[in-house]
Amino acid sequence: MRTMVKMVPLLALLVLPLAQADTVDEVLKGYQAQGAGNFSAQKGQAMWTEKHAAKDGGAARSCTSCHGGDLTKSGKHAKTGKVIEPLAPSANPKRFTDIKEIEKWFKRNCTWTLGRECTPQEKGDFLSYLRSQ
Amino acid sequence: METKVRIWDLPLRLFHWLLVAMFLLSWWSAGHAQHLDLHLLAGYTIAALLLFRLMWGIAGSRYARFASFAYGPRQMAAYLRDLFGPRSVHPVGHNPAGAWAIFAMLALLLALTLSGLVVLGGEEGHGPLSGIVALETGIAWHEPHEWLAWALLLLVAVHLIGVVVESVLHRDNLVAAMFSGSKSLPAATPAVANHRLLAAVLLLLWLSAALVAALPWWRADQDHPYQPFAGRSLPDSESWRNECGSCHQAYHPQLLPARSWRLMLAQQEDHFGESLGLDQATVDELLQFHVTNAADQPLMEAAWYINHSLRADEAPQRITETPYWRKVHGAIPESMWRDPQVKGRGNCAACHSDAERNTFSDAAMHLPRPNPRGER
Repeated sequence: MRTMVKMVPLLALLVLPLAQADTVDEVLKGYQAQGAGNFSAQKGQAMWTEKHAAKDGGAARSCTSCHGGDLTKSGKHAKTGKVIEPLAPSANPKRFTDIKEIEKWFKRNCTWTLGRECTPQEKGDFLSYLRSQ
Repeated sequence: METKVRIWDLPLRLFHWLLVAMFLLSWWSAGHAQHLDLHLLAGYTIAALLLFRLMWGIAGSRYARFASFAYGPRQMAAYLRDLFGPRSVHPVGHNPAGAWAIFAMLALLLALTLSGLVVLGGEEGHGPLSGIVALETGIAWHEPHEWLAWALLLLVAVHLIGVVVESVLHRDNLVAAMFSGSKSLPAATPAVANHRLLAAVLLLLWLSAALVAALPWWRADQDHPYQPFAGRSLPDSESWRNECGSCHQAYHPQLLPARSWRLMLAQQEDHFGESLGLDQATVDELLQFHVTNAADQPLMEAAWYINHSLRADEAPQRITETPYWRKVHGAIPESMWRDPQVKGRGNCAACHSDAERNTFSDAAMHLPRPNPRGER
């Protein structure tokens, strides 16, 4: 019995990355069904640091404005200073395990950073880059 | 033939001077909400002192017993009339005027501690009356509690004038007598025992109670800030904590009225310059939680005051724009907001150690020490 109890966190460690891989694969398939082609992590990385002029005349925006340069480290909300947990699955296994969350944050953060929603192709490239971190 | 006769026993003198100290402490801490813990130490000590004094007034030593100085109004009038004349009387213990002042002070102290417990239970959700007294009742009793304190201050002034007058008229240092316990009196005057053991037991009891009260303060460190006491718990919601708490501190619905939250969620596509893009189901869930628990139905002191500081047609979108928030934060210098430890007006947790709980108890706030390397 005791060994079984000990196994639980171990199993969770094994299952969580699996759930993540499943979720991300499912999301990527969905993007391709919406017309996206093959995804490129390199392209995703390049877009990640690309700077976009803010419509309100403020500082130029990029994904790193809030998430920081090192995805294995915590980021900081550009406006409120609230700590944002690491995005890299290697540092934060809870990331990319919920389709609804993935879509919510793409929608909100693409709108803030790029001034428009991202295309399925862009989202797939981002996700391919992020999952490898 | 006159000699030194003990008329005030040690417990009584201890009662007197501890009461003086607690009276001063309660006045000093009264204007500063962040010193509520010290105010409570004073209040609870005064309550305990009153309990002792009531018992000692019934079963205590000769001159401490209420019966020994229960003068009627006629006796007091006669005493005051003759005070400056040749027929002036000079009782061994309390004189009639002093006795009336003492009864009045004891009654006021009793009213002060009781009203204080009502305010504490109502406003802060703390103390023996917590959960019994409604928030509105606590708020309603706050001002009477202050008036009682002023009335007591006035009586203390009367008492002090009386002490000076009596000391001068009868060439009798009453202050020294309250320290030593003895007065120069005819040798035949009955003396009282000192009750040293009782005094030691009472003092030890009080010291241990004060020590227990001070323990959390002693144990506090950087990660576990001193929290004198937690107020009531507010309604919680997972979706509120997740949706609102991921980009900023989750500000509780209690901090703005329902009309503010309705407007805020209706404008979610422009939430302080950011589009939230929440789906309708999430918006409805958040709206439900915010409208039911808004400041219009106050569950804590700050909510009541925020709500009452707003006109019915105002629907502020920032808590920091409400008149009550501005009033209570008005004394904080601009440099404090720019301090890197504080980061701005929206970061409640910089000073309120219960910001996570959203209760904003008086005693849970402490201005951070200025950072020497911070921007000025």
